Amino acid sequence: MPDAEATSGRAARLPSERGEPAEITVDGRPVGCFAGETVATAMLAAGVPAFSHRNGEPRIPLCNMGTCFECGVTVDGVPLTRACLTTVRDGMRVETSER
Amino acid sequence: MSAAHDLVVVGAGPAGAAAALAAADAGLDVLVVDEQRAAGGQILRTTPPEFGGRRKLPTGYPWAGELLDRARSHPGIAWRHGATVFGILPVTADASSAGGADASAGPGSADGADASAGPASAGFDVLTSDPADPAGSGRVRARRVLIASGAYDMPVAIPGWTLPGVMMAGAVQGFLKSQRLRVADRVVLAGSHPLLLIVADQLLAAGARIEEVAIARGIPSPVELLRALPAVPGHVRLLGELAGCVLRLLRAGVRISTGTVPTEVLGDGRVQGVRLARADRGWRQTGPARTVEADALVLGYGFHPSTELARQLGCALDWDSAQGGWIVRHDAQLETTVPGVHVAGEPSGVAGAEQSRAEGELAGLTIAAALGRPVPERALAGARRRIRSASRFSGVVQRMFAPRREALLELATPATEICRCETVTRSTIDGFLDENPFAGTADAVKLACRSGMGPCQGRYCESAVAGLVAKARGTGVGEAGRFAAHIPVKPVPLQAYVALADDPAEVP
Repeated sequence: MPDAEATSGRAARLPSERGEPAEITVDGRPVGCFAGETVATAMLAAGVPAFSHRNGEPRIPLCNMGTCFECGVTVDGVPLTRACLTTVRDGMRVETSER
Repeated sequence: MSAAHDLVVVGAGPAGAAAALAAADAGLDVLVVDEQRAAGGQILRTTPPEFGGRRKLPTGYPWAGELLDRARSHPGIAWRHGATVFGILPVTADASSAGGADASAGPGSADGADASAGPASAGFDVLTSDPADPAGSGRVRARRVLIASGAYDMPVAIPGWTLPGVMMAGAVQGFLKSQRLRVADRVVLAGSHPLLLIVADQLLAAGARIEEVAIARGIPSPVELLRALPAVPGHVRLLGELAGCVLRLLRAGVRISTGTVPTEVLGDGRVQGVRLARADRGWRQTGPARTVEADALVLGYGFHPSTELARQLGCALDWDSAQGGWIVRHDAQLETTVPGVHVAGEPSGVAGAEQSRAEGELAGLTIAAALGRPVPERALAGARRRIRSASRFSGVVQRMFAPRREALLELATPATEICRCETVTRSTIDGFLDENPFAGTADAVKLACRSGMGPCQGRYCESAVAGLVAKARGTGVGEAGRFAAHIPVKPVPLQAYVALADDPAEVP
């Protein structure tokens, strides 16, 4: 599970039934999550400060419905994959994008 | 190439699901393509099956559960979830091996605007991409297509709105409903649409601290409320739900400020505060701004319909601000100006789930009739009646909560990024318009300034760009025009094109 410092004041999972525990890596660092979560949920709950960058500025999801592409990350080598539409899979490799 | 379908529906929300069901019940072979994992669209999003537990649909739509269950289990409906339709190509008669022209030329399609496109009765190639599943990528032949692609939250460019922590109301609600995730602890909400209050209430229930709800408009006047009364029957449940939200927020001590707009988002690397100011009846800032500390700003000023596929196909669109901006022109049967291309739900004018479902039903029935299936007049009349009934309510909502776009545009300062993708500021666009007095369209600004050329393809800057053009030229936003849409209407990986090359037809 994510470290406490990164999550304070920000996204938090609500008490709720979830899927089996899983683990993905984000820029090589392990991020704990649960089956059925989207990559966006896993990254927000872990306190990842930027999904993508535009002109050096950090960005995280704006629309959460596949239209804004601010959550575009590289998933298992496929660039500009929308984290909000992608379900986590144990062992999935996610890289945030520089632009 | 996958087998041909009578109808391909883009979007599995209330409109798409209702259309698919009506068409399949009438005997058509239907494929529904949707970007989400499950049917229901944004409004009926629920937790994924991995979470276990019971499906919890919103209470305002008692028909939702049965509609989704019936559609999902119908043998005449195939589903392609997690896939993006990135283009639709008309098939010319000689390229079509399917033969068999439509039983009729299509009801009432003699608008003439785009009639030069040639023979359209041979159908369409619908291009889909699924980065996670090669079977979901490729070319699908359809005799008719229905665009039921829904809507997205209306963007409003304010200083600092690119900071992490600024999110749209629909985004925040989606995380709560389908992922059980609270996006922040301390939240300010700003907007004008009724959804804003529902999201505030849901955040409160999820344990967030609602620092303030800033509503641009004032309290409805008695005249407005009187005008709204005829629209209420049948929608009491929805209005009651809204009243309950306000009551719970007030009881929890949440500050709800009317006549208030956000003027700036503060923070270093993420949202740390929001500046709020009083506004007049026209939503223009009247007083000095004050700072409210928060981790997130939620924006909810309304919705824009997703019309990119209709644009790419050459359908005529019309500007109607209250209905969400650019909407797809259609006849009484919901056929667009391109024969064989139909529209239902928000792209025909943002009107909510109730009306979307009724429009989907009518579209499904009329497409079935156009393809020669027997459709009882009673069923058509019922769908039309439901559309009329729903539109009385949606019309009032549209009037009461119509965004004041000119005033919202003035929240953007010269340094504000209008185009988030390409980081194009207002001063760049205003400067270009100053130096080029003959540039008078949104597309001209796009070509010169790159605003609208990034991954979102203009969805989040088009209205502001057109607004700046209209202001500079003294015209309306409609005259400033809209961005053209081309294949791919959303960025797709190269593999999607490889999949097309494997199909026996030319690559676009």
